[in-house]
Amino acid sequence: MTVEPALVSVVDDDESVRESLPDLLRQFGFAVQAFSSAEEFLASDYVRQTRCLILDIAMPGMTGPELQQELMLRRQEIPIVFITAYGDETTRPRMLEQGAVECLFKPFSDTALIAALNIALRAD
Amino acid sequence: MDTQLSRVVDALPGLVWTALPDGDIDFLNQRWCEYTGLSVDDAYGRGWQTAIHPEDLPELLERWRSILAAGEPGEMEARVRRFDGEYRWFLFRTSRLADVSGPVVKWCGIVTDIEDRRRVEEALRAREGRFRSIVDGLPALVALLTPAGEVELVNRQVLEYFGATLEELKARAIGPRFHPDDREDVLARWRESVETGHPYDFEARLRRADGAYRWFHTRGFPLRDTDGHIVLWYLLQTDVDDRKRAEALLAGEKRFLEMVAGGHSMSEILEALCHLVESTASGCYCSVVLVDPSGTRLEHGAAPSLPASFITSIIGRPVNVDSGPCAMASYLNEQVIAPDLTSETRWAAYAWCPMALAHGLQACWSTPISSTAGKVLGAFAIYYDEPRAPTSLHQSLIEQFTHIASIAVERAQSDAALKRSEAFLAEAQHLSSTGSFSWRVATDEITWSEELYRIFEFDQGVPVTVQLIGTRIHPEDIPLWRDVTDRARGAGSDFECEHRLQMPDRSVKYLHVVAHGSRNQDGRLEYIGAVQDVTERRLSEEALGKLRAEFAHVARVTSLGALTASIAHEVNQPLSGIITNASTCLRMLAADPPNVEGARETARRTIRDGNRASDVITRLRALFSKRDATIESVDLNEATREVIALSSNELQRNRVVLRPEFADDLPPVTGDRVQLQQVILNLLLNASEAMSGVDDRPRRLVIRTERDDDDRVRLSVQDAGVGFDPRRTNRLFDAFYTTKSGGMGIGLSVSRSIIESHHGRLWAAHNDGPGTTFSFSIPCKPEGVTSAHRDGAIRTPAVTDPQYFAVHA
Repeated sequence: MTVEPALVSVVDDDESVRESLPDLLRQFGFAVQAFSSAEEFLASDYVRQTRCLILDIAMPGMTGPELQQELMLRRQEIPIVFITAYGDETTRPRMLEQGAVECLFKPFSDTALIAALNIALRAD
Repeated sequence: MDTQLSRVVDALPGLVWTALPDGDIDFLNQRWCEYTGLSVDDAYGRGWQTAIHPEDLPELLERWRSILAAGEPGEMEARVRRFDGEYRWFLFRTSRLADVSGPVVKWCGIVTDIEDRRRVEEALRAREGRFRSIVDGLPALVALLTPAGEVELVNRQVLEYFGATLEELKARAIGPRFHPDDREDVLARWRESVETGHPYDFEARLRRADGAYRWFHTRGFPLRDTDGHIVLWYLLQTDVDDRKRAEALLAGEKRFLEMVAGGHSMSEILEALCHLVESTASGCYCSVVLVDPSGTRLEHGAAPSLPASFITSIIGRPVNVDSGPCAMASYLNEQVIAPDLTSETRWAAYAWCPMALAHGLQACWSTPISSTAGKVLGAFAIYYDEPRAPTSLHQSLIEQFTHIASIAVERAQSDAALKRSEAFLAEAQHLSSTGSFSWRVATDEITWSEELYRIFEFDQGVPVTVQLIGTRIHPEDIPLWRDVTDRARGAGSDFECEHRLQMPDRSVKYLHVVAHGSRNQDGRLEYIGAVQDVTERRLSEEALGKLRAEFAHVARVTSLGALTASIAHEVNQPLSGIITNASTCLRMLAADPPNVEGARETARRTIRDGNRASDVITRLRALFSKRDATIESVDLNEATREVIALSSNELQRNRVVLRPEFADDLPPVTGDRVQLQQVILNLLLNASEAMSGVDDRPRRLVIRTERDDDDRVRLSVQDAGVGFDPRRTNRLFDAFYTTKSGGMGIGLSVSRSIIESHHGRLWAAHNDGPGTTFSFSIPCKPEGVTSAHRDGAIRTPAVTDPQYFAVHA
């Protein structure tokens, strides 16, 4: 019996992230879709299928937290792992409080990532 | 004898007769018979009576009888008919013919023709009657007085005016006829005239029968006999009441205008006006109410003779048609007459009439007081304690009064406004250490404001002359000052200069003088100018120069702080890629079978990202390395791209949409690349910051390079932010000025220093739409610049040590 791999979507305006992160996630056995902006993700057909969202916080246009808000309004409760290259000690507690599964600071290790994904998918 | 006597009797130039004691005629002479045409027989006895005029006969007989009865001689006059029927006047003279001791024996008489005399007398009488009627008809009081001053005769007007008969006038004392205030003077002057015989000329108030006093101008002339003795005084008294009232009002008006001009308080003037009206129209009470500045309520003006409780119940009432006559007059701007308050129905809503009646007032006439522009300033009211309507005299009084009152009120209001504005001006001059002056060039008349005296430290009011000013000019600046004033005398155009004063205590003041020249109607040149004491500014500029150098250091630190996050992001991005790729690479190699191709690809990416991180570090090192200003040829486009690369994440984080518009053919400039990049970075971060609160429109940022005039290159950074206050443009670049809590203001002042050291300028301007554009313009690289010229190519910032712009890495 073949289990359909869970879809993880990556939304980040940084091209190097969109390039490297999906390869790593596929190594973990996930199906991956990468988007350069929140708007692009919302417009795609993958919103409903996405089991976990890896989401950059600071992006031009709609930011990560704004996308999170939008999804809540649409009752699309997708577990979110925020990633950011820019943040201080207050960022993570704030994100967790607002419902994120995890918040990782770039650069982050593959173990931190898989731990976050495990939590996200278990919650799902 | 008889015959001879008879001849004599007949020859007498008169009609002669004799009569018996009972009066019957028993003899008539020849002339009698000839004159009357009657025969002796006809005339004897009582026949003579037929010759007497029927109108005169009864009186003649009556008189004749009384003469007979008295037995005394007597005279009578009567007309006697001549033979031809014409009557002429005759005088009958009769006397007794008697024995020495005995009773009357006979009467004799002579009748003489007095027709001519009678005619003269009648003519005289007629003339006198005419004079009398003329005198009676004169519109003046005429009196004849004895040399001692007693009344002898007066004309009809006198009797009517005083309401007395001649006898009563003669009997009464003269004094009470005059107004008590005039009495003493009148009598003194009259006595003097009576004693000296000098003509009398005086004006005084005479009491009329009804008790009213009117002004009369009295002139008295003595009538002298041939010896020069005074036999009579003629007195002519002319009614000058209207003129006197007009004069009094005119004098009053003059006095009030003097009071207005003399700066008396408004309430003083209004009170005096009320008094004048009250004394002119006796029996009335006056008040003035004013409309308050908001135009909605009545304020107290003046009411010297009305009870305070009445006034307090009027003031504060709203200006409308219902609250009372003054409020109504003020509201409608028209006169309101209430001749009888007992039957008045208006203002019932505010129970005004009962209130006025309770104060004993029964009539009220209220007239608005208007400014020249037609604005209602208040109302003037006349009250009476009996029902009354205004006469034309009252109306003219009211008109005059309201006119003066309007002048007084308007003047008081404009004075108050002027005083306020003068106070403001003096305060403003004091606060800004700015004095003003005027200078009439031809006459060297100089007028100074208070503050200017203070600046020059001269005593207030000392006459200011060019020489006096010269004593304060700093010796080194005297040539400059002479030059400026000499040119101003000739040119008549505006001038501006800065010079120093040397005060008596050797201290120095810096003055900035600006003056505008104009010619008056006569073509004379006059300057109006302002002098500002800029000493403190000069001193603080010097102090600021030192401070600015110190704060340039702080600026660098502040910029660093703002950049730290941006740099962290810039470095973290490639680091993140490196780690992710390396992780992937490991996992691919650890797979079974290993994904060698995938691993190779991720390893390549790892190297690429590593290089990218290395580039960032190189750029940062270039920007923050310890170095002095280096002069080189700089491609501004390239330098700007580097700055954009360095700050792009910071801009992204702020959701700024950056659009570069670089000119393709931009010539290189000569300067310090890193300093210029610091300026560009500063402008970009400022622009980003300025848009942080903007959510209703794109946070668009345009960075533009272009060729400017005069071989210059311009770089502009245009944001769509909140903008700045246009009045504060100059302050934007002050070291301590910032509109943002983030504190990038210091960066602007340093930026300006850098650009100025590149012989350029930095400025800010409002966009047509929202936001601001900061631009700098610097010269292109001059042809043939070599290293030998480099030191001179850039001026060191005047107040800033260049080393502070270099960051110690």
